[in-house]
Amino acid sequence: MRQKISVLGMALVLLATLLSGCFGGGAQNSNGEAEKQSEEAAAQTTSTTAVSAGATGFKEAPMLAELVDAGKLKPVGERLPEKDDVMVEPVAEEIGKYGGEWHYPWNGPDDKWGIGMVTEEAMFRFKADGSGVEPNVAKGYDVNAEATEYTIYLRKGMKWSDSVPFTADDVVFYWEHMLIPETFGKALYDCYYSVDPATGEKARAEVTKVDDYTVKVTFKHPNVMFLERLAIDNKWFFAPAHYYKTILPEFIGEEKALEKAKEYGFEDLKNFGVWTGYYYWLYPQRPTLRPWVATNDMNSDRFIMERNPYYFKTDTEGNQLPYIDRIVLTKMQDKSHKLLETMSGNVEASTFDFTDFTVLKENEQKGGYRVIPWTTPSWSSTGVQLNQTTKDPKLRKLFQDIRFREALSVAVDRKEVSEIITNGLGEPSQASVPAGLPNEQPGWSQQWTEYDTNRAAGLLDEIGLKWDAQKKFRTFEDGSDLTLTIYQEDTADNEKFIELVRKYYEAIGLKTDVKIVDQGSFFDLKYANEIPVTVKTVTVVNVAYRPDELVPLRVITPWFGHYGLYTSSQGKEGVKPEGDVARILEFWDKVKASKTKEEVQKWTDEIIKLHQKNQWVIGYTAPTPVLVVAKNNLKNVPQLVFSDEFRGLGHAHPAQFFLE
Amino acid sequence: MVRYITRRTLVMIPVALVVSMIVFFIIQLPPGDFISGYAAKMSTSGEIMDAQALAQLREAYGLDQPWYAQYFTWITGILTEGDFGYSLSYNRPVADIIGQYMGITLLVSIFTMLFTYIIAIPIGVLSAVKQYSWFDYLSTGIGFLGMATPNFLFAILLMFLSFRWWGDPMLGLFSPEFAEAPWTYAKWLDLLKHMIIPVIVIGTSNTCELIRVMRGQMLDEMTKPHIVTARAKGLPEWRILVKYSIRAAINPVISTIGWSLTTIFTGSTITAIVLNLPTQGPVMHKALLSQDMYLAGSWLLLMAVFTLLGTLISDILLALLDPRIRLERKGA
Repeated sequence: MRQKISVLGMALVLLATLLSGCFGGGAQNSNGEAEKQSEEAAAQTTSTTAVSAGATGFKEAPMLAELVDAGKLKPVGERLPEKDDVMVEPVAEEIGKYGGEWHYPWNGPDDKWGIGMVTEEAMFRFKADGSGVEPNVAKGYDVNAEATEYTIYLRKGMKWSDSVPFTADDVVFYWEHMLIPETFGKALYDCYYSVDPATGEKARAEVTKVDDYTVKVTFKHPNVMFLERLAIDNKWFFAPAHYYKTILPEFIGEEKALEKAKEYGFEDLKNFGVWTGYYYWLYPQRPTLRPWVATNDMNSDRFIMERNPYYFKTDTEGNQLPYIDRIVLTKMQDKSHKLLETMSGNVEASTFDFTDFTVLKENEQKGGYRVIPWTTPSWSSTGVQLNQTTKDPKLRKLFQDIRFREALSVAVDRKEVSEIITNGLGEPSQASVPAGLPNEQPGWSQQWTEYDTNRAAGLLDEIGLKWDAQKKFRTFEDGSDLTLTIYQEDTADNEKFIELVRKYYEAIGLKTDVKIVDQGSFFDLKYANEIPVTVKTVTVVNVAYRPDELVPLRVITPWFGHYGLYTSSQGKEGVKPEGDVARILEFWDKVKASKTKEEVQKWTDEIIKLHQKNQWVIGYTAPTPVLVVAKNNLKNVPQLVFSDEFRGLGHAHPAQFFLE
Repeated sequence: MVRYITRRTLVMIPVALVVSMIVFFIIQLPPGDFISGYAAKMSTSGEIMDAQALAQLREAYGLDQPWYAQYFTWITGILTEGDFGYSLSYNRPVADIIGQYMGITLLVSIFTMLFTYIIAIPIGVLSAVKQYSWFDYLSTGIGFLGMATPNFLFAILLMFLSFRWWGDPMLGLFSPEFAEAPWTYAKWLDLLKHMIIPVIVIGTSNTCELIRVMRGQMLDEMTKPHIVTARAKGLPEWRILVKYSIRAAINPVISTIGWSLTTIFTGSTITAIVLNLPTQGPVMHKALLSQDMYLAGSWLLLMAVFTLLGTLISDILLALLDPRIRLERKGA
């Protein structure tokens, strides 16, 4: 009997193996073999690199040298751009060495932006200190005195990851056949419009090819911020024409395109267009200019990106980058897995929210990693936003009263919040532009920060709020119930702070409710103008680059609620901005019509000053850092500013990371 | 018998249809839809989607239609072409996704089931034979502990211990170096190592019930007249056990095997999420949360079908195994 069971068991196991072999087969490639090859190659590195270095002065990774020797790949000198056009990437600490894998836990394709930013190559990228942009994929640029004509120079001999040359045609193609027809589901970016200073009318840019390596962008009116805004709105101002000509319906017809879409697993052309056109770095078929390119299906348990043999950058000694062979993205179902894996030392580099600070520090030794805090351009780490257009008219009037905002600000003991929520690392402070950023205002961080409940009570009396019969909670002047409802997304770990802030508000007689909703509902509620109070901060490097959070251009940041809808619908829906909010929009138009950078600075300062005066976004503690965690043997990881504008960890130029 | 099976199978069709309809309706009940959740997720990573982009996506996915219209398209696809629809979050056909995770799910479930039966049946028998001995108390005690401890908590505990002692929480089913390797002896060993925690965690939750059932049945059987007769005739005790008591006592166990069909194909959910197992459970969990209706709907439909099939199989097995039931039916 027992024998029978064990035989049966073995048969079942075999069956299961067979099944997993059949179903999961697609994801398994011959990487095991490739690894062996690269190991063998490592043994003969010295000889091969010496040979290839002799010819051109460039050196390459052993795994590529192997392929060159086998005749499967052209020598490194022929793969890089022309010698003078190669981009030399400065290393953060030292010249690195080749090899190794970067284990990078992710949550599957939903996390596409994380890896997208790490591997991103922008036409123009932000300088390390964030003070402006520098050419990256572009070799350089010229701009005329009126800021209406930008000439962008490309790198001669530069190639896509499939060896096809990258030229001006790829830029013009992207403009004509993808951006303007909106093949990837995004309306033409705002940076391509210039604004008539007199009428405020928007005019679209023209993009033309000058020669194979020169493109010209022409505006009707001055657009001084074009390069900076391009570096945010549309970093990848280029696309491989030869690839899209094989999949876009414009070139192969609807029917063939639908067939192609089905091959990729899609059912309709729109989503096919969005994914292959916008989230392109996830597709092995799509050539890119990035240091690492996708090699397998993004839905596999391990999504692998491997070095791009045609990558256009070298270090200062002529070693073609990247140093690291592969990025291995292991699918994690819960974000705590990423933490756990990092603590066990299985992750070369990753980023974490400040909430994980203590646990990461505690295990630093054991996991063999170091925690590198990057500053963020957030206005605060804890705070609240009151929807200025909230539905209830009585509540709206109250929220628009500056005295009420001051009362909420002084009613909170910032010291206590700082100790409990941020371990004392986020100093007591008002929500304000952090020091060192372009629109910093002196003294703002200490506005209304004194903990003073008497002052708060006085302000509430002044506004005319009454007490209920038990003298427990405040009511509106007419005696009707006054409740602040704080909405919170379930993914943000803010419960502790909300409980704390609720205690302070109730101490001055403001009844406070909390509603935790899932991300999707939060999004819908925001659009429906159903969120009166929320605990969110704003994060912005420079309002001129990315105005969304401070200027009500569309529904996005809770404080301006449906003012944004009014702008985006051209006055057909939403709430008409009045007073200082209307002035912000006025100033924003002035920013866009500016002729010089000084003018831009002046008008953005004005916008920020209105924010200082009105304090629509209330903050209690100064921003806390984002934590970059790097294993001790991973070198060249600098300490910078972490922001979406600078592309998160991508700002560190991961191509020059190396494993010791 | 054939007539009975045919009739039962036919009745299953309308039941499955009604279940699928209810399921589809319920998935859509929460506020918002797949697109609003997706847009919110994207906005946390810095991508901004405006109202126009949202409307475009809704149209592309057919989410602008009422739920019954969506249901009709979906169910017609299944019935006419065997097409289970299209997963919104994976951007791939549902059948592809189910296929991708099926192998590993079956592997883990079958291992766990074998573990449960191999452990529980002998323990049940032994506790009956040695009733009220220390072994009986100990095994029952452990069994109840296993049942009472929430699976995910137990999993976290074992992961913590593993992390403490070996510095590796044993997430997933393979170590990185074996993930893409061909099936070698070393890879099997690695897989088995990673299976320890899931199998223990998922297995122990079911052993208790099985132990108690086995024990109770055995106690009943062991005092039956034919056993007493056998013993009087001088048959060795182990032969009596194997040939008469266990054979009869195992009936309820066999008859419920069919019910585990659903569990085998879906695997556990919360435990799999905690342990990061690449099985069906977490995929379905995510689909339900993000209102990826076709994926979630197909899954729930499959589960319903498996439940129905399982019940049928159980009934048939019982009829085959137990002559008494078979005869009764014939007599009727």
